[in-house]
Amino acid sequence: MKKTVRNLVILGVIIIIVLVFQPFYILQEGEQAVITRFGKIISVQTESGFKIKVPLVDNVVKYPNKILSWDGQAQRIPTKENQFIYVDPTSRWVIQDPAKFYETVNTVASAQYRLDDILDSTIRTIISENYLNEAVRSTNQINNMNVVETIQSVDDEQQAEYLRNLTSTTLKQETISTGRDALSNQMLTQAETFTQEFGIELEDIVIRQIRYSDDLTLSVYQRMIKERNQIAEAYRSYGRGRQATWEGKTENETKQILSGAYATSEQLRGKADATATDIYADAYSSDPEFFKFWRTLESYKKTIPQQNKILSTDMVYFDLLYTSLPTSLR
Amino acid sequence: MAFNFYTSGEDNNNNSNPRPPKQGNVNVSPKLIMGIIIALLVVIGILTSFFVVDQTEQSVILRLGKYQKTVGPGLQTKIPFGIDKNYNVPTQVVQTMTFGYRTTSGQTFTTNTSTDYTNESIMLTGDLNIIDLEWIVQYKIEDPYKWLFKVNDQTKTIHDVSRSVMNQLVGDLPILAVMTNERTTIEIEAQKMMQTTFDRYGLGVKVVTIKLQNIVPPVGDVQDAFEDVNKAIQDMNRYINEGKEDYNSKIPAAQGEAEKMILVAEGYSAERVNNAKGDVSRFTSVQKAYETSKDITSTRLYIETLEEIFTSDTSNLTLVDKNLENFLPISNITAPNSTAVTTNGGTN
Repeated sequence: MKKTVRNLVILGVIIIIVLVFQPFYILQEGEQAVITRFGKIISVQTESGFKIKVPLVDNVVKYPNKILSWDGQAQRIPTKENQFIYVDPTSRWVIQDPAKFYETVNTVASAQYRLDDILDSTIRTIISENYLNEAVRSTNQINNMNVVETIQSVDDEQQAEYLRNLTSTTLKQETISTGRDALSNQMLTQAETFTQEFGIELEDIVIRQIRYSDDLTLSVYQRMIKERNQIAEAYRSYGRGRQATWEGKTENETKQILSGAYATSEQLRGKADATATDIYADAYSSDPEFFKFWRTLESYKKTIPQQNKILSTDMVYFDLLYTSLPTSLR
Repeated sequence: MAFNFYTSGEDNNNNSNPRPPKQGNVNVSPKLIMGIIIALLVVIGILTSFFVVDQTEQSVILRLGKYQKTVGPGLQTKIPFGIDKNYNVPTQVVQTMTFGYRTTSGQTFTTNTSTDYTNESIMLTGDLNIIDLEWIVQYKIEDPYKWLFKVNDQTKTIHDVSRSVMNQLVGDLPILAVMTNERTTIEIEAQKMMQTTFDRYGLGVKVVTIKLQNIVPPVGDVQDAFEDVNKAIQDMNRYINEGKEDYNSKIPAAQGEAEKMILVAEGYSAERVNNAKGDVSRFTSVQKAYETSKDITSTRLYIETLEEIFTSDTSNLTLVDKNLENFLPISNITAPNSTAVTTNGGTN
């Protein structure tokens, strides 16, 4: 009975000691720690697990042993050509030397402030030393690219080519020498010399976004609009031109067709007339006298009935009216 | 906030520290207290030594903070009293992150950055134009251990890297290429680049797919101008078609007209020649007859002709006597019982 009570007391005391003095600590995965004794660093723990320390005397400062992110504010920075752009950077960093980190910045929060200072100024420096192109582009591939507008309902390849040239927007871009990646690396190298002082290693600095400043945006919009307008007008004008061409073609072909047909038809008629003339001449030339007589009579038949006539009886036809009967009948 | 995706199995372990037994109460025997304490410990021990891992999850077990193992779905055991801790990570679930817009339903990523999301889709293209590009990233956690313990702010990291990669890719292309034929290339390249970066970080994430959604010029006048180009292409086609319409409405008609002219001329030709032939053959026939008896035939022809003339149209025929001895207009010489003939005959 007594023994049990005593055991319980001992157990309780041990538990209290453990709770109050904590002669051990647990370092989780993704954590590292600096152990100080009376303010002096005695060891650095990067391995996770169950650790022993001297209670009351040793102080454990835990830091993340992970990649941390630094989230920059978008800064308004002039580029080398003095265009104002917003650069929104972000960076990954690790506490590489916890002891140094403990000495110099002490907490993650204050490290963020240090990084703000270092990175902001680094980024500002690098960006303003370079042209906008260098920050935006990574390679020169843009100058080898040919964006082809898809053009339908154009009559032939030549016309399509013409239209493509007309609406082509492949303005040659300036050649860049460094590019975005290289700029990031420059920033990284430059910033690293400072961050090493704090036991911080930078994984990377990347530009999350580059954007024109607001007033610049407006003028870029204007330029884009004009560029599009120009192309739109090219299409319309081309369309009107083609329409005119078609109209001309129509007129041309109409006239050609009709006049050609006229020529052919007159030729046919002429030939026929000639043939007819030949036929007549051939036949009639055998007896011109009879032809004259015959043809005249034929002509009378056609012409005389058409006219108002006051005829004199002074014609052979009426001779009998005035002469006596033929002798045989008398 | 840091670890959104696992549930901790350690909630009970604050209760597991046994309290020192109360000594003052004489009614309660220490044995009973011991019994209660032991029973409590057993209950808590049992409660904290089992945990459930869902089919969609894997669970990472840390023993005293150190990585022990990763276990799969089902009922799993661990050492109780917070010595083993389990972190369940949804490794089978494909998670979607959207950029430039947010869907209101589902488990979409909630941004904890200060930038608002209409801005994140605005980018500069290689020809220094502005474009509004929306996209999604689908990823799943491949290595739960890395996911949990290698990188802080994992989703934010994915978010940042994705934005940076997309900006970089778009920044290398002309605006029209981004809008048209380079879409797929961008998706493929972005996936590759993001995966490389995540592997470098040791994030334990596999990028499943990247899909570009809406790629448009900035809303407003610029978009209108882009639209206008499309309209202009339509206009162009309309103009051309109008021209063609004009052509098609006239040329076939003209061709018909031409054929008609030629056909008419051919008809004329045939007629002319045939007439000539007919005329000639008649003439020839008559001539033959004429040859045999010239006088008779000529007289006959003459009389027949005049007869035909006078009988064909008699309405305005006035006949005047050649001698004018008796002015006798024979107004209707062909009428039956013609007075003129009888009268004339009478005078002689």
